Amino acid sequence: MIVQVITYLRERSAMMKWIFLSYLAFALVFDFFADRHHAHFWGDHVIGFWAIFGLLGCLLMIVFCKGLSHVWLERDTDYYDK
Amino acid sequence: MTSSIFMHPAALFLVGALLLPLFRKFNAQKIWLVVVPLLAFLQIKYLPASFGCVEWLGFKMQFGRVDQLTMVFLHVFTLMALIGSIFGLHVKESGQHVAAWLYVAGSLGTTLAGDYLTLFIFWELMAFASVFLVWYRKKKRSIEAGFRYLLVHTFGGLVLLGGIFLRYQATHDLSFELISPDTATLAEYLIMIGFMLNAAVPPIHAWLPDAYPEATVTGAVFMCAFTTKTAVYVLARGFAGFEALAIMGAIMTLYGVGYAVIENDARRILAYHIVSQVGYMVCGVGIGTEMAINGACAHAYAHILYKALLFMGVGSVLEMTGRSKLSELGGLYKYMPFSMIFTVIGGIAISGFPLTSGFISKSMIIAAAGNNHQLILMCMLSLAAVGTFLSVGIKLPYFIWFGPKDSGLKPKEAYWNMQVGMFMAAFMCIFLGVYPDYLYNMLPYAVHYHPYNSYHLTETFHLLGFTGLGFYIMVKYLKPHDVSNLDLDWFYRRGAGWFMWVARNPINAVNEFVSNVYQTVGLRFTMAAARALSWFDWEGIDWALDGSAKGIVQGGEQVRQFQTGKLQQYIGAAVALLFLVLIVVVLI
Repeated sequence: MIVQVITYLRERSAMMKWIFLSYLAFALVFDFFADRHHAHFWGDHVIGFWAIFGLLGCLLMIVFCKGLSHVWLERDTDYYDK
Repeated sequence: MTSSIFMHPAALFLVGALLLPLFRKFNAQKIWLVVVPLLAFLQIKYLPASFGCVEWLGFKMQFGRVDQLTMVFLHVFTLMALIGSIFGLHVKESGQHVAAWLYVAGSLGTTLAGDYLTLFIFWELMAFASVFLVWYRKKKRSIEAGFRYLLVHTFGGLVLLGGIFLRYQATHDLSFELISPDTATLAEYLIMIGFMLNAAVPPIHAWLPDAYPEATVTGAVFMCAFTTKTAVYVLARGFAGFEALAIMGAIMTLYGVGYAVIENDARRILAYHIVSQVGYMVCGVGIGTEMAINGACAHAYAHILYKALLFMGVGSVLEMTGRSKLSELGGLYKYMPFSMIFTVIGGIAISGFPLTSGFISKSMIIAAAGNNHQLILMCMLSLAAVGTFLSVGIKLPYFIWFGPKDSGLKPKEAYWNMQVGMFMAAFMCIFLGVYPDYLYNMLPYAVHYHPYNSYHLTETFHLLGFTGLGFYIMVKYLKPHDVSNLDLDWFYRRGAGWFMWVARNPINAVNEFVSNVYQTVGLRFTMAAARALSWFDWEGIDWALDGSAKGIVQGGEQVRQFQTGKLQQYIGAAVALLFLVLIVVVLI
């Protein structure tokens, strides 16, 4: 049963994309109504701060880590056996 | 009082482990594997505040010290022992179970220890028992990794022991209590480094991603739960409020997650991710406020369950397909749907989705950093949360269960006992998320934190949602390759090779050369020098004194010439002498 549902959803990737994007829109709208009494710093008062933090953090982390791996850290899996 | 040692939960596992081969003989191994951890889980509630105090060689040892801080760790350790044992029920080799239980006993013993001596004994038991969980994989790589694991932990144990000795010399007190940062000396810092090695704090963390991916399927499930979290407990007990720990912890969270983003082997990703998650706890311990300590304990509790769940999930895949590299997996959801659901629950729990255990535990540490006005730490921890969702929440399940390509594998669903183990852990992940007070009531201090407020919710919606967007944009770039990445274990893995090369080649050659030179030149020189000295002794020194040595030799020579050795001459001489004596007597 679960398998059929997932297969059904995987075949409709455009629909999944729209569901995901509408979730992001909901999250941004929800931010306008959040209670900010316990703010820790200035960023907590900016609408969508954590959205930008999450997106930029994610992209920078991928670029930085993958880049570092490619130019320096990456080795064959039997590197130490040679 | 000595008899009260037998109520120690570690004793239950020790005796249980010793009797296990017997139960196997009577085909009751599976029953015994469930009964013993279950008994321990029920029994810990009835432990007195202090028990098992022994005087030994003039040292006061305390095997049992129970308070709120101990209790939360005991609770999750025994629960994890139960889940892990059920997950491993299908393993017929008693040896693996014995190693796992001795390891659990070491961990429980460390947690309950009231003095450094007891702590050290159980600490070493933990290291020596757990290495067998690596060796039981019986592959060349595992055996090598096991030896490295053992060497690193022996080194850590020695540092700890050195610290304990110095502390005893200074204070003559071995009781294990909270240490203030103001009074800490070299002894305390050595103890802390010993603890930090087991908590896998960089730069002494590389043993963890080196050994855990090489362990057996069930062994890794145990290992991911006990060593690092016992270290978190002893740090929380002894070193709460050390700022160095807060900074190191925050660095750990990013260091571990960075490697989790780039690694390919699923169990290596999870192993690096332990470094990251333990970083939250170490950071919480370092911040040291009541809320932060609570957060560290809560996170340890939640983390043990969901990290074990993830190790069980990828372990099931490894058991069923023989593969654990993301580049060789994909599309398995059709064949192992239950394992998939459980692993995804582990993934969303570790990422801190609302209604899961990560949401109610991780946020406590981040909020504690915020309340303590440590904003840089708070941002580092939040960034690590982004990386967590990216690497373990999305990347890992995506490339194993779904993925851009189908691996073509058609494995069977995991064994029933594996599924039961995964179900129990997954249930706890959701249960704690829905009913956080179950966990909060166990914590060392009263909890005034409410995770389900609208601001925390919106923050989480954003962080998770937009991290997901980032993954969606970059998914092609994240495609796994069959490589592994260098880490600081390079220094001792390559270093050991160089050391051996230097010993075999240059040092050996120099040794040969020196020995040749000695034989050809040195030996002759020595002989000539001996002759010269002998001449000097003979001529110089004797002349300088009184010539007596020469005189004696010459006298001896004359006496020798006297003695001809011919019998008739001797008789003649004797007769002549007798005659001479007679003449003298007669005349006088």
